[in-house]
Amino acid sequence: MSKKDLRLKIDELSSSIGVFKGLDIQIGRIVDDEWDEPMGPTPFPSIGTLRDWDRKLLERYKPFYMPLCDLCCLCTFGKCDLTGDKKGACGLTMAAQQSRIVLLACCIGASTHCAHARHMMNHLIKVYGRDHTLDIAINTNVQAPNTRLVCGIRPKTLRDLEDALDYVETQLVQLVATAHTGQEGDNIDFESKAFHAGMLDHVAMEVADACQISTLDFPKGVADAPMTEIGFGSIDTSKVVIMCIGHNVLPSVDIIDYLMENKLFEEVEVGGLCCTAHDNSRYDKRAKVLGPISWQLRYIRTGIPDVVVVDEQCLRTDIVDEAQKIGAPVIATSEKSMLGLPNRTHDPPDEIVDDLVEGRTPGVLILEPDKVGEVAVKTAFKMKPKRAGFKPLSMEKLIELAGTCRSCIKCVRACPNNLPIMDAVKAAAEGSVDALAEIQPMCVGCARCESACPQNLPLVSFLTKAADEKGMTDSFAIRVGRGAVTDVEIREVGRGIVFGEIPGIVALVGCANYPRGGLEVADIAEEFLKRRFIVVATGCAAMDLALRKDEDGLNLYEKYPGNFDAGGLLNIGSCVSNAHITGAAIKIANIFAKRPLRGNYEEIADYVYNRVGAVGIAWGAMSQKAASIASGCWRLGIPVIVGPHGAKYRRNLLGRADKEEDWMTLDGRTGEEKYVGPVPEHLFYSAETLEEAMVMTAKLSMRPNDTTKGRAVKLSHYIDLHKTYYGAMPDDLHLYVRVEADVPFTMKKEVLGIIKDKGWEEGKIGMLDPTLLDRMVRRKS
Amino acid sequence: MSLFEDIPVDVGIIYEGERIRGRDMQIELGGPREDYKFELVQSKPMDEIEDGKMTVVGPDLPELPEGTNTPFGMVIVVGGAELEKDLEGVIERRLHEYVNFIEGFMHLNQRYDIQMRLSKKSYQKGFNSFKVFGEVLMRLYKSELPFIEKMQVTFYTDPEKVEELYPGAMEIYEARDARARGMSDDEVDVFYGCSLCQSFAPTHLCVITPQRYANCGAISWFDGRATDKVDPKGPVFKIPKGALIDDVTGEYEGVNQVIREKSLGEIERVQLYTAFGYPHTSCGCFEGCLFYIPEVDGYGVVHRNYKGETVNGLNFVTISDLTAGGKQIDGFHGLSIEYMRSPKFMQADGGWNRVVWIPEEIRDRIKEYMPEDMISKIATEKDVETLDQLKEWLKDRGHPIVDTWKEEPAVEAAPAMPQQQMMYPQQAMPTTFTMPTMELPAGAVPGLPSGMNIRIILKNAKIKAERLIIKVDKE
Repeated sequence: MSKKDLRLKIDELSSSIGVFKGLDIQIGRIVDDEWDEPMGPTPFPSIGTLRDWDRKLLERYKPFYMPLCDLCCLCTFGKCDLTGDKKGACGLTMAAQQSRIVLLACCIGASTHCAHARHMMNHLIKVYGRDHTLDIAINTNVQAPNTRLVCGIRPKTLRDLEDALDYVETQLVQLVATAHTGQEGDNIDFESKAFHAGMLDHVAMEVADACQISTLDFPKGVADAPMTEIGFGSIDTSKVVIMCIGHNVLPSVDIIDYLMENKLFEEVEVGGLCCTAHDNSRYDKRAKVLGPISWQLRYIRTGIPDVVVVDEQCLRTDIVDEAQKIGAPVIATSEKSMLGLPNRTHDPPDEIVDDLVEGRTPGVLILEPDKVGEVAVKTAFKMKPKRAGFKPLSMEKLIELAGTCRSCIKCVRACPNNLPIMDAVKAAAEGSVDALAEIQPMCVGCARCESACPQNLPLVSFLTKAADEKGMTDSFAIRVGRGAVTDVEIREVGRGIVFGEIPGIVALVGCANYPRGGLEVADIAEEFLKRRFIVVATGCAAMDLALRKDEDGLNLYEKYPGNFDAGGLLNIGSCVSNAHITGAAIKIANIFAKRPLRGNYEEIADYVYNRVGAVGIAWGAMSQKAASIASGCWRLGIPVIVGPHGAKYRRNLLGRADKEEDWMTLDGRTGEEKYVGPVPEHLFYSAETLEEAMVMTAKLSMRPNDTTKGRAVKLSHYIDLHKTYYGAMPDDLHLYVRVEADVPFTMKKEVLGIIKDKGWEEGKIGMLDPTLLDRMVRRKS
Repeated sequence: MSLFEDIPVDVGIIYEGERIRGRDMQIELGGPREDYKFELVQSKPMDEIEDGKMTVVGPDLPELPEGTNTPFGMVIVVGGAELEKDLEGVIERRLHEYVNFIEGFMHLNQRYDIQMRLSKKSYQKGFNSFKVFGEVLMRLYKSELPFIEKMQVTFYTDPEKVEELYPGAMEIYEARDARARGMSDDEVDVFYGCSLCQSFAPTHLCVITPQRYANCGAISWFDGRATDKVDPKGPVFKIPKGALIDDVTGEYEGVNQVIREKSLGEIERVQLYTAFGYPHTSCGCFEGCLFYIPEVDGYGVVHRNYKGETVNGLNFVTISDLTAGGKQIDGFHGLSIEYMRSPKFMQADGGWNRVVWIPEEIRDRIKEYMPEDMISKIATEKDVETLDQLKEWLKDRGHPIVDTWKEEPAVEAAPAMPQQQMMYPQQAMPTTFTMPTMELPAGAVPGLPSGMNIRIILKNAKIKAERLIIKVDKE
């Protein structure tokens, strides 16, 4: 309750109008005291509150550091060389410095979601009022599970979400402060703080999505959310095209509203990139999803957009220069990304439009979403005919330019994926763009090759043109972001999970910095969908997995249903919707075991860690946000796999399967400590190849509480994937078979033979009511 | 060495979710286009079975035209010293799982409604005779259910033969159902406990009796019996029911003892046929939830797929949230739909005479097992929307609950049962009244010195009062 509010409780009040008993007067705001769930031990935890829990995890999953840089250059003592046993001038070790950078990355990520949430909240409160009721998901009692769990409050209105956000902001300042020179010195404490940042991030994301779902009427946890289109081919280029890039949907909502109010939607295409695209389509399915974040440069180079509207996060910071090249004005809409543009927030819209159309300014900054719609639409309509003369790169020009390549191979060296750009350019000079077209789907759109090229060849444009030439501009179906998993859906899968009919939950999340293109995400999704895992997806990953059709012309969204069940493929939504994935894991504890959530983080994390077979895969993780999202999963006990570029987050959290003593777990029934096997083996793992990621995912879905049937099913998939991708039986099966009944019965003889050779005995690995918390042991008083 | 090394296709759990599309199928056995199809398991004395024998009556796979469908019958005869006739149904239902384990083979539905598809790919790999199919089934059955000692299989694809055998199969299914539903808790000595859900709800245990299915609706007493036979140390185990403590509430010494042990002392006693006192607990995956409606002193039942609000304004999620987690909660009771077909259904609380509201979907599913005179007396969502309407309905229809109302239960002020009241969300009544300026007694506002006259003016104040009683003093 804020200090301005007053709550007055009077046992008995006699006055001339009557007697008031138990009178409770609340002024300013209403406190929720109808929640009969008792307050748990850690509402609004501060930095150190959950340190013991973090240390339990970090004891098992020791940080394995992979420094990207051996130096620390953060203060004027430096640069300090930290290699070997050396310490920096402040006394910091290499391990501490790496974990400090991890913490900073997580803080930046969490702050970004938090700032995004705050920006939206301020605006939405202005429009809808603080008392606007939250309505997040149908068939759901446990709304906002992350907020309940962490903060100990049950948000019912926008105002309640503000309390959660106030808390996150305060904590983030505390966390960033600890990275100052001469503060924290221990790497494990830094790691614990990074976990804290991650946990906060999931609250911030939940707040952001809860407020936009409730006010903008996004789908509220529906399995059959509407389908829209994704891909370059989804845009009718004969129409006026407005391109929206970023993550904050408010300016785009205003564009859509303006189009509807003025009955112009039929004449305009609103195409989004990255999460703004997800959230646009959640608002109105007529909005198209152009593609993931890595496509922004690629799409601008087609010359199609008439206006580019940017909001925040993961934008190309040179977007104004790029848009200039195709003569499209830029409208920036966020204080976080003002791009040097003049602030025209308070000018009359027609004046702004005029200046943009006449080219008096390459772009403008408009900080009121309410004005963006009118300016963007009017400008786009006027730009369309003006830009009609614009000619994107022609084939002739491409071949001519390719001929100037000096074979210096700097483009290949600059490419994060080492794509054979030079050879493709050489082939183009000879008249064939096949090789360029082949590279294009694997390009992450960073344009480092262009910066490196001494001839200034527009290599990204080469790829775009080549793909266009080869007709690679298809349109695909995508189910719009559905939001949370509902309580009823969780109840429905309970039996399937217990009986082993559902081997696990795979979450495909994160950005588009893939080692070999986004279609690998479709490969992962399909592999596990066929195996009847539940596959949930968000952000760029949810887009990329849509981009392939089978021989019947159907993609995964068309082939697999959108409900939370075996073989279901759920587009949960944008980045901020990731909170619904952790939220679903949290709700499992509440729904099946009736564990109270309110301010009860440690107990629930212990439950999720030991029981919920969920694995996160961020195959193209790129941003600091992806780091903090993953970090929130770690603290909750959910393992995360990243692609090879994820190694640049500087550290993994790896378990040691060979050390029995690392896997001792308490039996909640007896208090006895028993070996449970290395499940899950790692908490954060960067896989080198897709094959490795597939096998690891199946392996990390095992948990100590698996029923024998459940374990047998999980082992079947692990063995089958291992055989498929490595061509051999796994050599660690003896660590995962607890009793004979765990062995998939179709391979009983074979598996028992192998593990007995390794000295396996039944009963050595315990089957218990697993917990890492002594206080959770049931002791009869 | 794999169990299926010499079989031309792979066999394993990983193929369970495989779907075979029309154009990829070699042959469809049964399916919606065929009137006659069935699968049947029969137990016979050991000396009447020739172990391993396989017979195909009618054309075998290569003689059936590619891409077509055929009438189909499959009779599996099993025997074993430990094998009981009552387990036939359980063994038969395993077919769905086992057939789906075969790479390139899909099985849907059961009994007289089966649809199976074999893929062209698996056919070309060498799965080209029913004898291969039979061989796989025999190995799966014998390795999974070791009490099956002998087994023989006959496949029928001759349309006349399938049609001829069909009525006999139907009779067997009916007789089996009659036997299962006619079986009473009183006539067996053991019940079965299922602790599978303890992996998620560590103190919950389902007690499965012939007349009380597991809450999830997936495990009958017969299933429990078969599972226990296969793996006596497993999560489904015998509960010797022990001495009867109360036959109306369904309380047994043996059950209590096992519950105490398996719930680690959290639960002391369980009475199987009641929702009050010591009700059976639940995990979270129950099919339906029974809820007490204090205003009419009756029960409603709502199932998982019911999306709307029940008659008391709460939906399934809210109601089911009040129970689960292995806790005993008065008046909120997770159950299976099958249990509603049982004569013991909520016996201690008045059984069907106490039920006042169920969704139409449940009613249509179980109508034939409800007491006939009650069908028209129990309201559904189509009949009533509010508690007031429900009360009227019950009176109009002469529901037996009405006779038990000593005085008219009031919808606003509920009768006794305060503990249920507390769990009941209050229907918030928007009340607006103007707050007069009033003088507060000294000390009402902490921190202000006493003896000071203060005046508080409340603007736009929301006063939440739990109760407002306006008394008119008689002079």
